[in-house]
Amino acid sequence: MSDQIIVMNNVCKDFKVLNRHEGLKGSIRDLFSRDYKVVSAVKDVSLSINRGEIIGYLGPNGAGKSTTIKMMTGVLEPTSGEIIVNGTVPYKDRTRNCENIGVVFGQRSQLWWSLPLVESFKLLRDIYLVDKKDYDDMMELYRSLVDIEPILNKPVRQMSLGQRTLSDILAAFLHNPATVFLDEPTIGLDVSMKAKIRELILGLNKEKKTTVILTTHDMGDVDALCKRVVIIDKGEKIYDNDISHLKSYFGSYRTLRLKLADDTWEEMVIDESKTDIMEIITKKQKEQRIKDIELQDISTEEVIKKIYEGGAA
Amino acid sequence: MGRTEKRRRRGLKFYLSIYRKILVQDLKSKMSYRADFVISTFGMIMVNLSGFITFMILFKNFPTINGWDYYHMLFLYGFSLVALTPVQCFFDNNWSLRYAVESGDFIKYCFRPINVFFYFISEVFDVKGLGQLAFGIGTLVFAWSHIGIPVTFMAIVKLIVFLFTASLFMIAIMNAAAATCFWIRGSGYVMVIMFRFKDFAKYPTNIFSGIFRILFTFIIPIAFVAYYPSLILLEPDNIPVLTYLSPLIGLLFFFLSYKFWLLGVKRYDFTGS
Amino acid sequence: MTLRRCIALTRAGITESLQFRLGTAVTLFGNLIYLVLVYFLWKSIYASSGVEVVNGMSFTDTMIYLILATALFNFLEMFIVWDMSRSIQSGKIILDLLKPMKYKRYMFWSYSGSHVVLFLLSFLPTFVVVMIVTHGAIPMGLNLLYFVISTVLALIVNFNIEMSVATICLYTESTWGINIVKETIVLLLSGASIPLAFFPETFRKIVQFLPFRAVYDIPLTVLLRKNGSDTPRGLLTLLGLQLGWAVVLTILSTLFWNHSVKKITVNGG
Repeated sequence: MSDQIIVMNNVCKDFKVLNRHEGLKGSIRDLFSRDYKVVSAVKDVSLSINRGEIIGYLGPNGAGKSTTIKMMTGVLEPTSGEIIVNGTVPYKDRTRNCENIGVVFGQRSQLWWSLPLVESFKLLRDIYLVDKKDYDDMMELYRSLVDIEPILNKPVRQMSLGQRTLSDILAAFLHNPATVFLDEPTIGLDVSMKAKIRELILGLNKEKKTTVILTTHDMGDVDALCKRVVIIDKGEKIYDNDISHLKSYFGSYRTLRLKLADDTWEEMVIDESKTDIMEIITKKQKEQRIKDIELQDISTEEVIKKIYEGGAA
Repeated sequence: MGRTEKRRRRGLKFYLSIYRKILVQDLKSKMSYRADFVISTFGMIMVNLSGFITFMILFKNFPTINGWDYYHMLFLYGFSLVALTPVQCFFDNNWSLRYAVESGDFIKYCFRPINVFFYFISEVFDVKGLGQLAFGIGTLVFAWSHIGIPVTFMAIVKLIVFLFTASLFMIAIMNAAAATCFWIRGSGYVMVIMFRFKDFAKYPTNIFSGIFRILFTFIIPIAFVAYYPSLILLEPDNIPVLTYLSPLIGLLFFFLSYKFWLLGVKRYDFTGS
Repeated sequence: MTLRRCIALTRAGITESLQFRLGTAVTLFGNLIYLVLVYFLWKSIYASSGVEVVNGMSFTDTMIYLILATALFNFLEMFIVWDMSRSIQSGKIILDLLKPMKYKRYMFWSYSGSHVVLFLLSFLPTFVVVMIVTHGAIPMGLNLLYFVISTVLALIVNFNIEMSVATICLYTESTWGINIVKETIVLLLSGASIPLAFFPETFRKIVQFLPFRAVYDIPLTVLLRKNGSDTPRGLLTLLGLQLGWAVVLTILSTLFWNHSVKKITVNGG
């Protein structure tokens, strides 16, 4: 059995959208208009993901992240290119693909709104035809990772956002899928809940060797969970490598902090591949006295910000 | 291969058992919202009462309609109420389809290895539809006894079979109407108007002439919601072919509406999110 | 300043309604088919009765009444109950309450845009078609002006009924039940589903004293010059009745709303 669990080859996705016109006159014109334009959401993306990986799938809003996920889950058909997930073509055999994936979509709960969590779990057990033993084992694992007793008998509609997210993640892993897609799993959560969720995801990934595809805007998630990061911008893949390379890939950025004569700190982000740090310090020293110097590694957050802003080469 | 074996096991029995489980859980949780249940049931009684009052007022002013007298009309009326119960009880979630689609929430129904239509529809069972059923049965029995149709085993079987048949048509209409939201934004009105059409199901179809008769028989099949199926009992000496064919036509309509619904899912690009 | 805000809301409403282009077309088409159903039903009803005029209503009168009632219904229909319950459940209501405009007024003017669109796209075409088909059975004269006045009053009465019912949503989640009760009562007692002229005597007398007929029955009666509305006295009585209800309901719904919001904000924290 191959270790590649998801393979995408030259995948493109176009959407046809109506050109809307502005204002009152425009909307009257739109009533009759046939003026469509084609928007490419995903352009020629190739990707291969191995079993057991946790991948951070990043990109600014509207970059094509969701579209990619929707194609991998079989909801959307690619305009061209090939996707294989677990040996099936998701779009052609959506049902079969769904047997082997779990999905969590940020703030949209997929559980039965008015049912207690444990009843949702039982329904999912029946839907995925999970054996009783596997189900019990999984519940045992859940108990060892998080304190689920207080929420098991609570209807989802009465849960806090954190509890709901937790429940959704547990539900996504319940049938022991090969791949789990997590879209913004920690959005809107407080710091301790975020940590709890990250711990849970790591634990499940470790125990079950589940591949996790994580889309997020929270670099804390990425730092805590992912070894590998894929970045997509305007539909194109612009980065696909280890997170440790990320900082040097787009230039070796570091933050230089200088304590000036008046005891204030001046900060600047410097690309060491282009600028010599010593040169800057010497230049600065000619202007005024420098009391102290600090050199810091740039955070993932700042790198990503630079990339989104178009700093990427 | 374990997996293919699993797939084969998801047949009718699987779906019925899942539906039963959802239903039981859903009813349990509904019991905890008693106020909602009481108000909704009251609403349903009001709807039926108002329909009945309208009907009575009409008959006070006009004693016959196209040769149909009071009790025959009442029979049609009761028949239509019972036939409209399944669409109310089991397919009520179609009303939420538009919101799910427009907000992008619909996507969640596509992530399970079961039929999307089933998954979506099974989510809601509408208890208050049972009030309408009781109302319909009462009217039907009352009209039946006054017309004097002999109560035989065969008559009851016919009634049940043709009530079931009749119910398929309204389900089909509402499925198709709901599915328009995959193509048309702001299509809520299609459902509203189709649902209003059902009020005309309780009148004999021979009031329509020409092209409209065809329209309301084969395109928007409200003629089948009560009129044609009920003729099996109301006019045993003169049963039209369409009455005999109605079970088949009903299944066909249901099947087409189901396919149309799924086509909408395929076509829809989920840009709402 | 306030006026400009109101106009801005109206404009936004119009633009939004037109965004749903296919939806608009389908609405028109659906209405047309509905009218066909009404036509056939009443045609055969009158044909079977054998008389021309029943309770002072001829077939043409009934048709015009019912068609225009449907057109009025489409034009006056509001979904405030649903909007409100959704924004309560999502918590958006807090934002709405914080808007620099009274919530009730905000609601009224945001709906005015779709009212304008629906009046032009739905009511007016229906009216013209009816006029042509019936060869001038609709009296043309000052009654048109009175009709417009009466419709505006109907709109206010309807809005306040909607608003009062929507306020109940602050107390219960049972939106469907509340909405259906309101809709059923309004449609039946306002004469939208069957002309009030056909109601039995006692029933009609009771309905006369309820506000619902101010929504559909009075505007149509005024338009068709029925029920004494062709005399100045009859006309003034009807319009006065509407005005009275408009004032009373505006006061009541405002009081109810203010009282409820105060209570909710105290409870909700």
